[in-house]
Amino acid sequence: MISVIDSVEVTTRNLPDLPDSRGNSIKKLFLTDHSINIDTVRIALRYDIKSNLNNLQIKRAVSDLFSDPIIEYGVSNSQVLKSNSVFPVKPNLVIHVGFKPGVTDNAAQAALDGLITLYPDISQSSQIFTSKVYMFWGIPADITPEEIAIKLHNPMIERALISTKNDCDINKWNILNIPIRKSYSFTKPKSINLEVSDDELIKISEKGLLALNLIEMKTIQTHYRLVEVQQARSKLNLPKNMPTDAELECLAQTWSEHCSHKIFAASIHHVDDETKEDTKIDSLFKTYIMNPTLDMQKNVEWLLSIFHDNSGVIAWNEQWSLCIKAETHNSPSALDPFGGAMTGIVGVNRDILGTGLGAKPIANTDIFCFGPPDYDGQVPKGLFHPRRVFRGVHSGVRTGGNESGIPTVNGAIVFDNRYIGKPLVYCGTIGIMPRILNDGRQSHIKTPSIGDIIYTVGGKVGSDGIHGATFSSLELTEESPSSAVQIGDPITQKKMIDMILEARDSGLIQVITDNGAGGLSSSVGELAELTNGAYLDLSKVPLKHPGLSPWEILVSESQERMTVGISPEDCADFESIAELHEVEATIIGKFTSSGAFEVYFGKEPVAYLPMQFLHEGCPQLELESEWIKPIHTVIKFPTHDKESMGDILSRLMARPNVASKEWWVRSYDHEVIGQSVIKPFCGVNHDAPGDAAVIAPIQGQTQGAVISNGIVPRYSDIDTYAMAAACIDEALRNAVCVGVDLDLIAGLDNFCWPDPVESLKTPDGRYKLAQLVRANRALDEVCRAYNLPCISGKDSMKNDATINGKKISVPPTLLFSLIGNHKDVRKAVSSDFKEFGDIIYLLGETHQELGASELAFMFRDESNGVSGIGGEVPKINTTRNLALYRSITNAMSKGLIASAHDCSDAGLAAAVAECCFGCDSGAILDISKVMSSNINVDIWGTLFGESLGRILVSIKPNNCKEFEKLMADHEYSLLGAVDSGDNIAFINSGKTVLSASMSKLRESWKGALNGESN
Amino acid sequence: MQPKVAVLSGFGINCETETIAVFEMAGAKADRVHVNRLVNGEINLEDYHIMAVPGGFSFGDHLGSGRLMGNRLRFGLRNQVRDFVKAGKPVIGICNGFQVLVKMGLLPGDDDVSLTQTASLALNDSGHYENRWATLEFNPDSHCIWIKDMTRIRVPVRHGEGKFVTSDKQLLDEWEKAGQLAVKYVDPSTIYPSSSNDVLPYPISPNQSWRNIAGVCDPSGLVFGLMPHPEANHSTWLGATWTRENIEHGEGEGMKIFHNAVKYVREHHSSFE
Repeated sequence: MISVIDSVEVTTRNLPDLPDSRGNSIKKLFLTDHSINIDTVRIALRYDIKSNLNNLQIKRAVSDLFSDPIIEYGVSNSQVLKSNSVFPVKPNLVIHVGFKPGVTDNAAQAALDGLITLYPDISQSSQIFTSKVYMFWGIPADITPEEIAIKLHNPMIERALISTKNDCDINKWNILNIPIRKSYSFTKPKSINLEVSDDELIKISEKGLLALNLIEMKTIQTHYRLVEVQQARSKLNLPKNMPTDAELECLAQTWSEHCSHKIFAASIHHVDDETKEDTKIDSLFKTYIMNPTLDMQKNVEWLLSIFHDNSGVIAWNEQWSLCIKAETHNSPSALDPFGGAMTGIVGVNRDILGTGLGAKPIANTDIFCFGPPDYDGQVPKGLFHPRRVFRGVHSGVRTGGNESGIPTVNGAIVFDNRYIGKPLVYCGTIGIMPRILNDGRQSHIKTPSIGDIIYTVGGKVGSDGIHGATFSSLELTEESPSSAVQIGDPITQKKMIDMILEARDSGLIQVITDNGAGGLSSSVGELAELTNGAYLDLSKVPLKHPGLSPWEILVSESQERMTVGISPEDCADFESIAELHEVEATIIGKFTSSGAFEVYFGKEPVAYLPMQFLHEGCPQLELESEWIKPIHTVIKFPTHDKESMGDILSRLMARPNVASKEWWVRSYDHEVIGQSVIKPFCGVNHDAPGDAAVIAPIQGQTQGAVISNGIVPRYSDIDTYAMAAACIDEALRNAVCVGVDLDLIAGLDNFCWPDPVESLKTPDGRYKLAQLVRANRALDEVCRAYNLPCISGKDSMKNDATINGKKISVPPTLLFSLIGNHKDVRKAVSSDFKEFGDIIYLLGETHQELGASELAFMFRDESNGVSGIGGEVPKINTTRNLALYRSITNAMSKGLIASAHDCSDAGLAAAVAECCFGCDSGAILDISKVMSSNINVDIWGTLFGESLGRILVSIKPNNCKEFEKLMADHEYSLLGAVDSGDNIAFINSGKTVLSASMSKLRESWKGALNGESN
Repeated sequence: MQPKVAVLSGFGINCETETIAVFEMAGAKADRVHVNRLVNGEINLEDYHIMAVPGGFSFGDHLGSGRLMGNRLRFGLRNQVRDFVKAGKPVIGICNGFQVLVKMGLLPGDDDVSLTQTASLALNDSGHYENRWATLEFNPDSHCIWIKDMTRIRVPVRHGEGKFVTSDKQLLDEWEKAGQLAVKYVDPSTIYPSSSNDVLPYPISPNQSWRNIAGVCDPSGLVFGLMPHPEANHSTWLGATWTRENIEHGEGEGMKIFHNAVKYVREHHSSFE
């Protein structure tokens, strides 16, 4: 019998040279992020335990489990604050922070596991709830307890209880009640009458967060009028002429923008005001993404699986294949940055696990877009300050990646005011599979059979994460539901990954997919296409808490779950592997050939959806697109001398987009698995920025994989074609800088767009759609030219927020990720200059292309908009670039290149500075040749322009002759040599045009985004 | 003979792939052994010559890193682990594995293998997890079999809780005297040997560990644990600054540790009890 609730509190012991580092971190956080200087912060961890254990057993658990006997002080059924030896002076303020009911509490799950180790006979219904007690001494007089509390917790998922100074004075430290969830009662499936007016149909969609438009609602209405449908339904005892709630939900999930990419599949009428083009485009996806890849597939043998699975698969060599996928988790990250981002990273890991017959995730990439951390305007109600979003997202991705044992090898952080409404959180994962499994099957092909048993594996289903897919297809408002927020559980998932890979290698898996958006309705619904039917019994699905309705079980996006198909004869073996790994695996249905997705709750029919209607019934959208060239104010350049130019460079280096992200990136594990060849940082002090990542995934072998990313949303303000082209070129340039094998490269497109569908709320929808059309056309043309097929991708099309009646749309953003082969990692090149005296060259052509450059944005911000961003954006010349890239990788394979660095954000001057950081060097460089080779380019364009196709290299003096021979057909400029001094200078025709101290530049560059004040 | 290594896995251990790889590169046969396969008797620990507890985030580091896994071993595998150590067989714990061995009382340990915790690994003074490279210096007076003939190596540290502490400072002197403080963080610009008891500045000492301790061994010198990751520097092309160095490619600086253990087993296996 469970009747007792015990509590345990634990805090750091008072030992000399043992700080309360948890408390100190909070103290630092308040100082760095909020400029609030608090004398001392201490933290106690609290566990409330609902169990059948007696007092003595709890007491023993304090020393054997909850607290560390050497460094911690723990008490049961008391408060640590009562101890006069640990806390001789009592605090002025105490805040107790705990979860709201139903929120995932990973530490509690771990603690319960630990309690079972100590007491194997403990009651099965025991529960633990964790919370934190924050204790403060010396808070500035003008800061209220409420101000402190709101910065410590997220009201969407947490509660806080304050003990004020008055409470503290009488030693009264208040404690929250434990978060008991009110029990749900089971509700039978409802049916929904669709024989109503159009207005009513829209209301049904809006009220139910279904995100279905009128045409789609009417298509569903028509389906239920069909005689054959009604006959089939009568037979099954389902309401004959109207959908059940589960059916409507299942259709809404499957047809959601998130799951079915309606905008990319739409028929688009595109008009171009500039060229007078007037055309119809039947599906952007088919026309500009899939067709180019299919064409390229005719010429290569390494494109194993494209577009249809959870990630794209390429053959890396005879034995191994690699796969890659990136996802976004934007809306959840806006509401709960920590949980949203963590769910994003562990979610995309499952896409890899669910590829083919199961791949092993081996590397993560994280690319974030935030509002500026120093934003001092008003933050819209319901949203967090960008700095807090940044911290939370970073912390979530760190926890998710590190605890899963998957290194974060590459990434980027981009800042723009317009991401205040919705941050973008791109999480990518690379996986590896043996091409042929032990049982002889090819790993990238699923092998389902009619009659295979459907298992749900991993976590249980709860009410967390209901409506994630449809929610992400809606814009963010103050009323956005908290049920869409979830917190990932990396350890449950890690156990599941270990278990699935063992089952795969034992030949047990026939089909597998991830439960992400749309939950079982999507995972089983999609796999059912392979055999043309599935039967599902929702009453078998393990639940976190009883009483969920059938439709909720069907669409819940509770994390850490895979759906797996197993042959009936293999079930016993599969279950015993699951048991060994302590992973829950439950039979919930089987694959059929009935032509329908049939869902029951025990004997009760819940849904009957013909496969064809479910997957092909969604009507194609018809959209309008119109391109009108935007007009921008031009850049106003200041008068300048060499010192002021040095100062401009210093300010550019401190721009958040350029500044060092070292403090943040260091807290990601980037080396687990023992494969990291080119790391995020390089150089003599391990702090210079790397370009692409290189990993050697098979320990001891020298073949590598290259991973890089390109993202430049700035250019979207002028032209999304240029933006997309720049992204692809940047990803490829980064890969070239480390020596990628240009004959084996593949890409991934991830679009994050504002809503491009014209409506009352989106009057500029035609323009936003035209921006999408142009970006897609760039993707098509550039990828074809680079022989860089897209093998997977994703889009997120509602990145708008309406707060206080004001709409904030993100700039159209494309992330282009690249995976490539590296023939011999021992030949890989890093970006840092190597030795004083090495010769520096700029490769590629420089043009006067400063429109929407980092420099233009800086002048705009500094002048409050008097200076504009207008001007030419970088144009791409793929033929010229690719020829140069081939020559560069060729020179690398001969060992001729000492360093190579991408020349992009903030141009040549910033690139030179970054290479110098890695060598503790300076550089005195002559740019006369760059200036004279193009009469249109001025000093601004030369130093800070971002022309594509340029790479800065350094060469050992005795290799220069041979190197120049290889470069004979390309534009290149010898700039000078790596210098031992502290000065960086650029000289044009004998005159120094920029001069700066490297140590000062380093200070600007490293200080701007440091995560903690010293 | 080819030594057999049990590399433990499960519950959030995540460095088993590279730990298996380094033992195999050193000439051993290494198996991934899920902890529960030892608990349920499917696999016998005594069939192995070396046990390795790899790095990772067992149980998410909740309730203290290594704590819950340490308890699983301390309570679930108590006799198997004690018999293994008493038989004179080498054991290594790396990063989270080191935390496990310390929390279960196997390190710094005692002659009786009583599994009583006497030290701990507290949060880094920085308060957070970090991945950076450090230089380690091995104690020339230590009898630890894992570090024989080693002076210095460069390896990554990847942890949030690596500050080695104990509640009784006298114990530190005893361990020092017994040669159990096997490996310390060191300023790479100094000349070997130069290890010091004064805590070195961050980030030379990434966690502000007492006496710069990076790893310790038990009284027998057979059980060894350390926070940094020697298995992550198994090949020269994984070094932090290898592209700046004129090197002949081959095995990385961390491999010697694993060679030492494999060699030890080859020379001593007949005396294992």
